[in-house]
Amino acid sequence: MFRLAAKSVRHNPKRLILTAFAVALGVGLIAATHIFTDSLDRGFTRLFGEIYDGVDVIVEPITDGGEVGDPTSGDSVAKNLDDDAVRIAQDAAGVDLAMGATEALGALIGTDGETLSGGSGFGPPTLFFNWTGVEDFDSATLLDGRAPEADDELVVDVDTAEQHGLAVGDQVVVGGAEGTYPSTVVGIATWGDSNNTQGATLVWTSLDRVRELGGGDGWTVIHVRVDDGADAEAVAAAIDTALPEGARALTGAAKAEEQAESLGEALKAVDIFTLAFAFVALFVGAYIIANTFRIIVTQRTREFGLMRAVGVKGQQVRTMVLGEALLIGIVASVTGILMGYALAGGIIWLLKALGPGESFAAPIIPLDAIIWGFAVGILVTLASALLPAIHASRISPMEAMREAAVQNRRGLTMRNIVGGALALTGAGLTTVGLYAGLDRPYVYVGAGAVLLVLGVTLLAAQLLVPLAFGMRDLLTRIWRVDGKLAANNIHREPRRSANTAAALMIGVMLLALTATVTQTVKAVANDAIGGQFTADLMVVSTTVPGSPDQSVVDELASVAGVETVTRSASLDARVDGVKIPVTVLDTATAEEAIAYETEPSFSEIDGGVFVSPSAIEAGAEVGDTVTLVGEEGEISLEVTGTYPNSGDGDYFVDFAQAEQLGSPIDVWQYSIVAESGADLDQVRADLEDLVATEYPLLTVQSPDDMLELANQLIDLMLAVITALLSGALVIAVLGVANTLLLSVTERTREIGLLRAVGSRRRSVRRMIRIESVVMSLFGAILGIVLGVALGVALIRALEEFGFDTVAIPWGMLAIYTVLAIVAGIVAAWWPARRAAKMDVLEAIAFDG
Amino acid sequence: MTTTLIETPRTSVAVAASMRGGTKTYGHGDAEVRALDGIDVDVATGEFTAIMGPSGSGKSTLLHTLAGLDRLTAGQSWIGDQELSRLSEDKITQVRRDKIGFVFQAFNLIPSLSARENITLPLDISGRRVEQAWFDEVIGILGLGDRLTHLPAELSGGQQQRVAVARALVARPELIFADEPSGNLDSRSGGELLAFMRRAVTDFGQTIAMVTHDPTAASFADRVLFLADGRIVDEMRDPTAELVLDRMKQMGH
Repeated sequence: MFRLAAKSVRHNPKRLILTAFAVALGVGLIAATHIFTDSLDRGFTRLFGEIYDGVDVIVEPITDGGEVGDPTSGDSVAKNLDDDAVRIAQDAAGVDLAMGATEALGALIGTDGETLSGGSGFGPPTLFFNWTGVEDFDSATLLDGRAPEADDELVVDVDTAEQHGLAVGDQVVVGGAEGTYPSTVVGIATWGDSNNTQGATLVWTSLDRVRELGGGDGWTVIHVRVDDGADAEAVAAAIDTALPEGARALTGAAKAEEQAESLGEALKAVDIFTLAFAFVALFVGAYIIANTFRIIVTQRTREFGLMRAVGVKGQQVRTMVLGEALLIGIVASVTGILMGYALAGGIIWLLKALGPGESFAAPIIPLDAIIWGFAVGILVTLASALLPAIHASRISPMEAMREAAVQNRRGLTMRNIVGGALALTGAGLTTVGLYAGLDRPYVYVGAGAVLLVLGVTLLAAQLLVPLAFGMRDLLTRIWRVDGKLAANNIHREPRRSANTAAALMIGVMLLALTATVTQTVKAVANDAIGGQFTADLMVVSTTVPGSPDQSVVDELASVAGVETVTRSASLDARVDGVKIPVTVLDTATAEEAIAYETEPSFSEIDGGVFVSPSAIEAGAEVGDTVTLVGEEGEISLEVTGTYPNSGDGDYFVDFAQAEQLGSPIDVWQYSIVAESGADLDQVRADLEDLVATEYPLLTVQSPDDMLELANQLIDLMLAVITALLSGALVIAVLGVANTLLLSVTERTREIGLLRAVGSRRRSVRRMIRIESVVMSLFGAILGIVLGVALGVALIRALEEFGFDTVAIPWGMLAIYTVLAIVAGIVAAWWPARRAAKMDVLEAIAFDG
Repeated sequence: MTTTLIETPRTSVAVAASMRGGTKTYGHGDAEVRALDGIDVDVATGEFTAIMGPSGSGKSTLLHTLAGLDRLTAGQSWIGDQELSRLSEDKITQVRRDKIGFVFQAFNLIPSLSARENITLPLDISGRRVEQAWFDEVIGILGLGDRLTHLPAELSGGQQQRVAVARALVARPELIFADEPSGNLDSRSGGELLAFMRRAVTDFGQTIAMVTHDPTAASFADRVLFLADGRIVDEMRDPTAELVLDRMKQMGH
């Protein structure tokens, strides 16, 4: 039977090309994801090895929970190591040398005041390290010049030097949260062997300068060199036992491995995110495969009937059809994996060419890409072909005797029942998620959405019949016979048309869903920033949060025209042993800048604490007393009010209370209210001058700037998701083309007859095109309706996070509709050509 | 009976379709097949012409080239006074649409259109109005009045062929080409169908050219042309089934 299947595939490869391509595209996305992250993973593993090469043992701070603090993320949970730790490491058996090192974030500024790197913006960080002078410990190797010997001397990494044209002897300014420091470039160095900094700027300078920049007292890490012949692991273990709580020791090799592993975890998240889209693409592909096989089985009804008549068992027919599917699955998987390799390789090549791709290792096809590619490609194809194969096995030998392939007149009842049940269950789950007030409502909404989509797909056959017929008169009026026949053709095979439209529906649905959510996020952000921000300007810190130093406030307030400066900050504290985010405000003036909808107003906080809905959910109530535990103190506060939504912090206190906790307070925003009648442009210019010279890490923004930035980020997100969905959309369009192509073949005689009685080629092409556009449009509209409905449902489920309005992205929906029409025309191109080129005589030949 | 080659000059009077030196070959070199070998023929207006011949005689090719469904390799053909070999594909399609009706042996109807829609299809394609009185008369004669809303699948074979004849008649074409119209029907339905076609010629002056290999079918015609090896070898006026059968036997059919 398998040989027969192979022959059948070989005999008529054309009709399977598009199907195989649809599967290959999905598999390609999966393979590309694996190949891409594998290359990144290997690249970074190599990099970490390079960085920790030469460091035998390192000692680093850890949190109470045993977590490693990442000093670059501004996460201040792990405290710096003190000199005792260095002494403990130095005194351990087998240690040759132990030395503390520290680092800080800052900015590098040109002498003309132009920021070279760091400072405001969302670019990669500028990191300052202290130069130890010990070759094994300094991650840098000098290429030019000398090591820094004074506070105002520094070494920059070679790529930064090249990018900004810095050379030994050049003057620059170092910017920190507390001030600026003129310095001289005394050396150029490479970090590791390849200076692979991921775009970050690295600067080495004196220990004191790094501490001034915010490195604080103590050390962020201690580097240890062991005696010749000593076992690094044993030394690490010895130091580890000697260390007090809050620190640990491990070998450099182990640290490299650990970092590679944690990166691997992060990449896995990327994998899962991208794979989700690949699976959507394959899900769409499955519709096409099922449809193709359904049509092929119908077309070969006589052939199968004849086989049955000459004694082939139904089971063998089934095996044969599945054998064809298996062949297609294998071919498509191989093609897909190769396409994935080309795609990933292309992206990596592009990234390398554009700059940020240096961390990628040369792409290879990893084993998991092959396993996943084959498993998914073959399984999806087989599963999709299963129902048509079963149908084929049930064809009676009598079919061989029939004059022409009799139309499949099976009722839609079963399909409607299953579809209805699925859709109802889905809608029910979504409703429960929305209104039953359960924990994590979005789980119910999400699961409900999937069922709803499946149900609607099945029901689409029933929905399509009246739709096609409703449109028949309109189409007939516009395009006469061409329109009428197109409507008839859609209506004739409701299952086929519905599956075709459903493939497009799923893609468009996800687009519409994303657009609705992003549009709403925009609207909410607009509301929040445009409506709530009564501040005229904001001075924000985008990289390094400032300390709650009153002097910054005073200086900002001293600018002419500034009436009020009010700070927003955050810190971490514990309540009942659980770490919670605390927002710290100048409560007396906070409401002048931002219209918080608290109950009562922040100015009536009265030395107490306000709580958000999530804190209330956790048990806090107005009138209660909560105890916040900080690093060096704790305070018990009365809950004196409530904050309207979650997500902005759980507890809200004034600086006066926050300072008693002894935890670092990160000030990220100074909101500025100008005097009435002040020239805002002038105020802004003055503030910009001030921060440029005094606080290079701060930047001045207006609420409009923030809005624009927020909108840009949201648009970027929409663009990324759209790009990821494009695979599924391309497959859906291929599906429309494939269905049309097969149905054109099926209708050869009909088209021949039309041509014989006077339809022009143009007219035939138009008929196919109308059919295609109507199907595409139907899929798109159904997708838009579902997507917007689900988007609205999702937003309602997220209401507690401040999503109090729903915005329908009419503009995007109109664009999707127009694109669906274009997609319909594109999909019809090949089938319409084929139909129009059909030889009239061949088409009307009796034996076809 | 002697074989007479018809070498009449082409006249423009009362000729619905004609061909001069019509040649059609398939393949090249040794594999060349000459389906039509220099045919001269006139289909007279208002006559029922039957084209007969054994399998492979070229009778279907003659019909297809006369009707503009296929092109001649050499020679010329006309529908009315329009020479087809000079026309573009689109123009030929237009000629077929406006001047010619077709009745095929099978698969005459679009499965998704009702009988009525199938009958008016050529008019709908060209955007012409249906003459209701004529439509009703044709439907009445063919006895299709109660079948108009049915889909082809719901009609018997005879009814389907009658719908096809109705379609050909309703557009009032200059000429109807029929290719074995009764070939798939039992003798009673076939006889009825041919009687309708005869009536269309006699009562309404419709011109019909029909290809058949059935002497009984040919006996409904005014004139029978006999084809063999791509040439017209004989013709007969006012044929009867017996005479046609005899002639066919002579040709070794």
